[in-house]
Amino acid sequence: MTDLQFENVSITYRSSSDRGDVVAVQDVSLDLPAGATLGIAGESGSGKSTLIMSALRLLPKSVRLEGRVLLGGQDIRELSFGQIRAVRWAQASIVFQGALHSLNPVREVGSQIIEALEHHSKGTWTTPQKRRDRMFELLAEVNLEASKSSAYPHELSGGQKQRIMIAMALACEPDIIIADEPTTALDVIVQKQILSGLARLVAERGISLLMISHDLAVLSAVCANLAIMRHGRLVEYGPSDEVCLSPQEDYTKQLAGAFPQIGDPESRLNPRTLKPAEVVRAEPFNMTDEVVLEAKDLSVSFDTRRGRERAVRGVDLQLRKAEILAVVGQSGSGKTTLARSLLGLQEVEAGSQLSFAGKALPKKAKELRAFRRKVQMILQDPAGSLNPKRSVYEAVVEGLKVQGIRDREYERVIGALEAAELTPAEDYLESTPQELSGGQRQRVVIAGALALDPKVLIADEPVASLDASVRGEILSLFLALKKNLGMSALIITHDLGLAWNIADTVAVMKRGEIVEYGEVDRVLSDPQHEYTQELLAAVPRLGSQSLVRNE
Amino acid sequence: MSTPTHDPHSGDRPDRGPGTSNPGTDPTNPSPASARGSAATADADPANPANPATADMDEPPAGGSFTRYFLRKLGGAATSMVLVIVLGFFAFRMLPGDPVLKIAKERPMSPAQIAELRSQYGLDKPVIVQFWDYLVGIVTGDLGESYVYRKSVSALIGEYLGPTLLLTATAAVIAIVLGLWLGQISAWRRNSLFDKLASSTSLIFWSVPTFWLGLILLMIFGGTLQWLPTGGMITPGLDPWSPAGIIDVIKHLILPVISLVAVVYAQFLMIMRASLLEEMNEDYLTTARAKGLTEDEVRRRHAVPNALLPTVTVVFLHIGGLIAGAVTVEAVFSWPGLGKLTFEAIRGPDLPLLQGTFVVFSAIIIVMNLAADIVYRFLDPRVRRA
Repeated sequence: MTDLQFENVSITYRSSSDRGDVVAVQDVSLDLPAGATLGIAGESGSGKSTLIMSALRLLPKSVRLEGRVLLGGQDIRELSFGQIRAVRWAQASIVFQGALHSLNPVREVGSQIIEALEHHSKGTWTTPQKRRDRMFELLAEVNLEASKSSAYPHELSGGQKQRIMIAMALACEPDIIIADEPTTALDVIVQKQILSGLARLVAERGISLLMISHDLAVLSAVCANLAIMRHGRLVEYGPSDEVCLSPQEDYTKQLAGAFPQIGDPESRLNPRTLKPAEVVRAEPFNMTDEVVLEAKDLSVSFDTRRGRERAVRGVDLQLRKAEILAVVGQSGSGKTTLARSLLGLQEVEAGSQLSFAGKALPKKAKELRAFRRKVQMILQDPAGSLNPKRSVYEAVVEGLKVQGIRDREYERVIGALEAAELTPAEDYLESTPQELSGGQRQRVVIAGALALDPKVLIADEPVASLDASVRGEILSLFLALKKNLGMSALIITHDLGLAWNIADTVAVMKRGEIVEYGEVDRVLSDPQHEYTQELLAAVPRLGSQSLVRNE
Repeated sequence: MSTPTHDPHSGDRPDRGPGTSNPGTDPTNPSPASARGSAATADADPANPANPATADMDEPPAGGSFTRYFLRKLGGAATSMVLVIVLGFFAFRMLPGDPVLKIAKERPMSPAQIAELRSQYGLDKPVIVQFWDYLVGIVTGDLGESYVYRKSVSALIGEYLGPTLLLTATAAVIAIVLGLWLGQISAWRRNSLFDKLASSTSLIFWSVPTFWLGLILLMIFGGTLQWLPTGGMITPGLDPWSPAGIIDVIKHLILPVISLVAVVYAQFLMIMRASLLEEMNEDYLTTARAKGLTEDEVRRRHAVPNALLPTVTVVFLHIGGLIAGAVTVEAVFSWPGLGKLTFEAIRGPDLPLLQGTFVVFSAIIIVMNLAADIVYRFLDPRVRRA
């Protein structure tokens, strides 16, 4: 069994550009004894990924490392390249974010697992046949069919890819598994399956687990100890329960509060953030009875290779003025198709009725354009939805240009940026997306929608790709837009906490159907449908260590 | 281990078994059944819930059939071909210069003789009738008779096609291998001396006109040094299939091939370099390194196969272009190929010959594009879904 120790580790990215050297990790000491579980929490830029990559010396050559990283008592800096190659995967393996691009897209996943075995046969997996058998054994361990071995990554769902990553990490029977955000971008149910599978396999084999995530609740579900990192420094370190439930540092409190506990009255309609958006209206708008956007018996089908599939089946939905409606469901439940239909971007089946402000949704291009001025869409990834070559001003003004609005262009842009709480707006006009943080980018996207004075915002996972602290800011912005401008919003999400944080009503979708629909307080506090209950049960809770020591 | 537990195609357990759904995708496993048997034993664990994966609603749909893909691409190629054939007829009718008057200029002819010539070539018929004759001719493989050579165009093209293919195929293979190899090393050692030298040298050649380079080579190696022959494909009188003849052809081949390769390999280098650089920060390379692969293995097994994808399309496009580009080189080195034939047909203007070479060149480019689509599908599993 192997211990992993970080002793006063500092890591600097050397750079010849104007920014000079960047200190990613500063004086961090952490200890992972054999068989232990340790979680490192932090936001992007906290240095947590850099730190774990140093354990296998996977950082680029331009990096300077001070202090010592000891793997089984051996300083990994003293190993030759041949030795470090032998250590990689055989003693310590990594579970990357399989849902993204950690698997080679043009090779069958089975052969990618076998490749690891070829490099570390350890005297056991010496022949192609033995390696193949081992690969099938591993697939079975992570509950995948053997036929999946000949699949390519794009043929698998996010959860399946993550299982492949875990199978690959287990392949050479390592002593340590390092998991890098293993469940980010997965929905709660798949997240629970992955986490419990990982926790079980690690516990059965006595493997030590080092896991990083931005989500404290996820870490506390599987790790006994927690470390909090910020700006490259260790902020807090201790047993999971202590860190989560009675945090000492303000930053830890903020992280812990970022993902609300559903049912906690304090976070209801109150996303936790240090920078809440201001409510300026003396009498803030509240949900009214005036229906703005309505769908009746909405069905959508696609032609796929498996025949015609119904992505949305007979959905009835109403969005009232100044209402925030959260549509919650797993990936593949049809919620994005629903949003596209409401925008008139998707052909719907005959018999579906869509109406906006009492009138049927227009079909002609010109009328559709006028309609889209009033109903704006906000997408998940702000980095992807902004053209990297355009300034903030150009990004926001584009909608106005498309809609042919010529008067007071500058004022409208400034107004929209200020409504999205980018102040002083003038300072941002010339910035390009690369110069902005994730949260600022999402504000620019929102400003682009607000510039047109819409009545309705339709947002598809607006905070899923943002850091925990930014998440609260953006959610509070949605709440403020509703209160100040009387705006209605339909938010597509797999995050029940988001619904608890800001929504008035919630619709739970499963396989194209709405299985439960009503006031947030009622649905989330007293769920009637078994699927809603399942979703709620899958949300990880702070400090529970629910998935490891639960026996 | 060696005895299969059940027949791989019996379908008794449709939920497992690699290869039942797509046989032949996995050449590394000659006996899927035995591997499956052992997987089944490992699977007997009762703690395993029955196939959670089949309940995965997020799983993307399976890929489409190759036949459909192929037919669709073939249909596209056929459409392009029809357009080329139509264009081939009308474009050359619009060329300035009357071929018959040109012939008449070279020797004294009476108006009656000119009219006779016109009717002999079918040029007195209405355009639509000429077009019909042309279409019928193409379908039956008859591309008309050359005004200048007084031979059937099909026969001429058949005679000149071989040398062109020999020249361009040799050049293409060398340029592609050289370009892709230099390109991947350049990208892998970005900003190194090797990278800078390879990129800048290739760009210098790239910006040089083909005919100029050809002439310089001709002057140095053919003229001053007299190491290599200055033109043609073979010394007259030699049998091309005898050992001496083959060596002679190779000697004739060297200079034109160098001129062609030098000018085009830069684009392959640049494309390969750029697409490999795109891949260099991808996460799956980190995965590969973490698995303990050497840098060489990471490059060969993971980075290059992905970087090849955008490269293949461009490479095939350029092979087509290379054949058309051989016109200059063939003219400079008097290589008896299609390029030289075209060059002479333009001087005519020898309409049937021009039409014929135009259609053949276009057909080659269309076939190359079709080949690119098919190769791409084999290289990139993601295209198999389209």
